[in-house]
This record gives sequence, structure tokens and C-alpha cells, in this order.
Amino acid sequence: MIMNPSAPTPIGSQIIMLFAALMLVLQLLLVVQKMLLTNIRLYALQSLMLTVIAAVIAWYYNATHVYIVAVLTLVGKVIFLPWLLNRLVRRIKIVEEIEPLINAPTSMLICGGLTLLGYIVARPFTTLDKLGNNTLAIAIALLLTGFFLMINRRKAISQVLALLTIENGVMLAAVALTSYGMPLVVELGIFFDVMVAVMVLGILVYRIRESFASMDTSKLTQLKG
Amino acid sequence: MELILLLLVPLAAGLLCLATRSRAWWEWLNLGAFAIVAGLAFKVAIDVAGQGTVMALGGFLRADALSALVLALIGFVSLVCAIYAVGYFRRDERDGKIARAQLRRYYVLTPLFVGAMLLVPLADNLGVMWVAIESSTLASVLLVTFYNQKTSFEAGWKYIIIGSVGISLALLGTVLTYSAAVGLLGPETRGGMNWSVLVGVADKLNPQAMRLAFILALVGYGTKAGLAPMHTWKPDAYAEAPVPAATLLGAAFINCAIYAIMRYDVLAEKCLGHDFPGKLLMGFGVASILVAVPFILVQRNFRRLLAYSSIDHAGIMAAGLGFGGKIGALGAALHMVFHGVTKPLLFFCAGNVQQHYATPHFRKVHGAIRTLPWTGGLFLVAALAVTGTPPFSIFQSEFKILSAALAADHGWTAFLFVAGVVTIFAGFLVHLSKLSLGAPAQPGPRVAECPWKLGAMMMVAVAVVGLGFWLPGPLYELMRQTTQIIGGAP
Repeated sequence: MIMNPSAPTPIGSQIIMLFAALMLVLQLLLVVQKMLLTNIRLYALQSLMLTVIAAVIAWYYNATHVYIVAVLTLVGKVIFLPWLLNRLVRRIKIVEEIEPLINAPTSMLICGGLTLLGYIVARPFTTLDKLGNNTLAIAIALLLTGFFLMINRRKAISQVLALLTIENGVMLAAVALTSYGMPLVVELGIFFDVMVAVMVLGILVYRIRESFASMDTSKLTQLKG
Repeated sequence: MELILLLLVPLAAGLLCLATRSRAWWEWLNLGAFAIVAGLAFKVAIDVAGQGTVMALGGFLRADALSALVLALIGFVSLVCAIYAVGYFRRDERDGKIARAQLRRYYVLTPLFVGAMLLVPLADNLGVMWVAIESSTLASVLLVTFYNQKTSFEAGWKYIIIGSVGISLALLGTVLTYSAAVGLLGPETRGGMNWSVLVGVADKLNPQAMRLAFILALVGYGTKAGLAPMHTWKPDAYAEAPVPAATLLGAAFINCAIYAIMRYDVLAEKCLGHDFPGKLLMGFGVASILVAVPFILVQRNFRRLLAYSSIDHAGIMAAGLGFGGKIGALGAALHMVFHGVTKPLLFFCAGNVQQHYATPHFRKVHGAIRTLPWTGGLFLVAALAVTGTPPFSIFQSEFKILSAALAADHGWTAFLFVAGVVTIFAGFLVHLSKLSLGAPAQPGPRVAECPWKLGAMMMVAVAVVGLGFWLPGPLYELMRQTTQIIGGAP
């Protein structure tokens, strides 16, 4: 069995479920929203939901290190990264994402399909009796829609955002599925890596913008064969 | 103690390079650090061969025979790269291709990159291993974009985006494995993420969770190893990175990724039996070999040729693991070692030719052996060695993998494997014999070769030829133990 027997009360599990569902809703909004700055705010909000989930779990299990994870998520992903991305967007003076490859209604439909796929993949695990019930399905749905978001967007920054939502999905799975979070050293390592990754990506976005006079990644086509 | 030093020395060297301002300092710090790392890695390997698993920090760092093989390989490759880099970048600087700041970036990031790679085989905790692999990627991204060309940024972007997507799948795989272990051992357990703990309880883990986890880990770490169809970043990154950095990616980092796959394969085979993980590995492995074939045959750029060769070899290792059994495991482990030792020679020769002719294209380079006799000659030797011509060692490992395939009764897969490997051999030979022996348009004078670069190449060449005839005692012992670890189930 995946979960340990000491389940939190139904109300706790419902709160977690609610916020996990909100994460998915925010993800779908990200898919249809074209303004870059709004996208960044949506990502910050999604990370906030993750923070709440971590905090609820920490409270139920009275686990100090999950509190630390919640605080790190709050500081890193709700405040610092959105601020960093905001600054980057303003520095390169592009606010609107022009023409995603697929239009909004079709994207919505595809993401609906992907969410369904998430539930199918996670079904073997959802027969279990506690709080993780549907969070794995949502985590996989976040992962899949994140991939779609990445393919569907051309702007380098949107791709960074897509990557970050994928990471949010994985962290949701990590915090909900293992019911106790991962060992602290691993959480810290992942946190550190995500921060460094966004900084490196930021440097690249800036340099790509400088040398291509655009940050449309569909122009990165010189290397072939 | 050695295990801790192995991580601290490169870290310290990187930070010291950040603090110093002269090229001489950077060069000597790097050379010194990598000489120490290589020495320590070999010492750990010999210790492990003699007395079994070594641990440090209460089991946080753990080196068994498989880790020791990877450690020794990283040590060897990073040392020869450091020696080669001195000559390579002095030449680049003389040609006015790079500025001081870039040089500093290389000498700061490379030790950090190597340090992160060293943590991969040392970490017992699968989560820490993930963090180490991701950190090595991040440290190497700015090495790929080293030359600040448009194409470098394109390559760097592909590298980090494809790599990060892959690695996030691997993280989900890690999480699932851990959740299965927590379900079994209870949440209070310590070390539920430690491979050494997991391997003991693997047969009792939830098979559905492990099945999904193995697929995710294979695809995730397979992206880093360059298995098809997740290989597309590789030719760009290998061709755009400066040669020493490309060598580290192609001969050291690839082993870290394969190593991670091996660890998950052991868990999956214990939990699910050989059939499921074996078929997946075979599929990805043979697909990678076959994908590389056409690109090698029609390749116009010799730096990209090396990348496709690396995709091919990652495929061979995965296939060997997939054919399974003791022979398959032995073949995969041998191949990892032989490939890691041979590949730097190929990269170094390609780097020399590229610097001398100022082009990476085959059509502009003919008869290199007349202008650069050592490089041209060694290039041919390296090509023969890397394509598995006897008596070179890669022939032995490929032969072992083939026998594993036939022993496991995978006739068709074995056929595809052989067809791929032989065609690649032919392609390599056609390309490189033209490059080295063909008639030049106007024969240039013989050029004196840089002693740093030549020294590094000779070191590798000696190892390549030596391993063809003689397997040192400790290496043999490590192989035996590794086969026990990854081919454990009869």
C-alpha cells in the first residue's frame, strides 16, 4: 500500500483536495492566458496553493520539516521567482505572448483530455483510502498540461513558466503521495536546483534576446542534422 | 574520508578560481584539483575492489563496486580533460576567439560540474542522486554556451529545456519509488530513499508503483544519457561546447546517467522480474543505435558525428542491460568503462583538427595526417577503437552484449544490434579515412603539435591500447562485483 495507516481526518484530506484542484484550475488559466505578466502571477498563485497544501500536511502530521518545505515554497516560488521573472520581462520589454500555436478553445479541449489521461494513469493508486486519493491524478495532469504548455508556447519565458508548473506538479505528488514529504536534504537540494535553474534560464533568455533580437524560440533553428 | 575529499576538492578549486584573476592560477588550480580527484578516485576504486563497499557520513555517501567504476572513470576523464584544456584554450586565446571572462567561466564551472558528477555515484539516497544529476546539468549549461554565438545559445537552450523536462519525469519516478517504500516501511523510516535500503525490500514494493516509477526514471535519466527519442539536444550541445567540456559531457556525464538507470533497473528487476524492464531497455537501446545510423552515414560535421556515436553507445549500454543476465550486465558495465576511456581520444583529435583547420566540416579537411601526423594517426586509431574493432576493448564488450542477446534468445534484436553497429563502423571508417588520409587540395606544411594537447592524447591512447590487451586486477575485481550487483538475479 502506498500510504501509511494514520490518515488525517476527512476534512484535512478535503482541504488538500480542494487546493490541489485549484492548482489544476490555475494551470488551465495559464494555458489560455496570453499576457506574460498575468501568467507569472498565476504561477505565483499556483505555488501559493502548493504552500497551503504543504502547511496543512505539516500541521496534520506535526512534521517540522514539512513546515520548512512550506516556508521555502512560499519564499522561493511565491515571492522570489515571480519577482525575478517579472524583472526579466520588464527588462526585455515584452509583455504579451503573441499567437500560441493552438488557439484557446482547442487548447482547453486538449488539456481536458490530458487531465483525463492523468486520472487513467493514476487509477491503480486511487483505490487507496486517504488524502492522496486524487492528488496523484492531479499531479500527473499538471505534468502533462505543463508539457503541452511548453510545446504550445514560443516565447522563451513562457517555456520557463511551463517548466516551473511541471515542477509544481511533481512537488505536489511528492508532498501528498508520500504523506510525510521527502527527506529534508532532498527537498533542500531540489529547491536549490530549481532556483539555480531559473537563474541560468534567465541568463539564457536575456542572451537569446540580445543576439536574436527576439525571444521566440521557434527562431532557434540553425542547428540541424 | 576519501569520499568527502572527493567532493570538497573540486568545490574548493572552483571557488578558488572564482577568487583568482590570472590564467596561470586557473590552469594550475584545475590541474592540481583534477590530479587529486583522479588519485582519490583510483584509491577508492582499489579500496572497494579489495574490501568491498566504502561509506562516509553515516552512510550518506556510499561507494560499492558500480559506484567505484563510475568514480574512477570520472576521475580519469576529468584529469585528461584538464590537461587538454590548457593547450586548447591557450590556442583559442591566441586566435582571439575568447576573452578572459570566458576563460574564467570555464575554469570556475568545470570543477563544480565535475564535483556534482562525483556526487552522483556517491549518493546512496536516490533523491540526492537526482539533485546531483540536475546540478551537473546546470553547471554545464553555461559551458555549452561558452562561445557566445547564436548557435551556442540555441544549443544551450535545447540542452536545458529538454534536459529539465526529462529530469522532472525522473523526479516523479523518484517520488513514486519513495512513496512505495514509505507505504512498506512506514513514514517514520529512515533511509526509505536510500538505494541500499530499497534493494533489500524491492521484492515487496508495490509493483504498480514500481512499474510507473521505472518508466519515468528510464525516460528521465535516458534523456540525460541521450537515448532516442530524447536525444535531440545531444548533437547541438556536443558540437557547440568547447572540446574539453564536450568531452566531459560525452565521456563522464553519460556514465552518470547510465549509472542512475542501472540503479533503477536493479530495483525494477527485483520487484517486477526481468521481463518488463528488460524489454523497455532493449527497446530504447536498439532504437538509439538505429537512430544514430543514418545521421552517422550522411554526417558532414565531425563534431556532430561524435555526438551520434555517443547516442549509439548509450543505446548499446542500455541494450546490454536489457538483454540481461550476468553476461548482459557484465557487457553493459564493461562497455561503460571502455567507452568512457576511449571517447576522450576521439574528442581530443576532433578538437585538434577543428582548431587547426578552423572548421568542423568534413569537406574542408583532407589528409590531416600529413599536416598533423600525431592527431591524424590517433584519430584513425580512436575511430577503430570506438567502433569496436578488435583488438580494441570495445569489441569485447560489444561481443559480450551480443552473446547476452543470443543467450536470452532475442534473435531479431540481436540482428538489429549487429546491423546497426556494423553500419556505424563502416560510416566512421569512410568519413575518417577521408579526413585523415585523403589527398589535400593544397598540402600544408607539417605543424608542430601542442605538448599539452598531445600529452593528454597520449595518456588516453596508452589507456585505450592497454585495456585492449590487459585488464588490471582491481578493475577485474570491480567488474566481478558489479556483475553481482546489476546482474544479481540468476
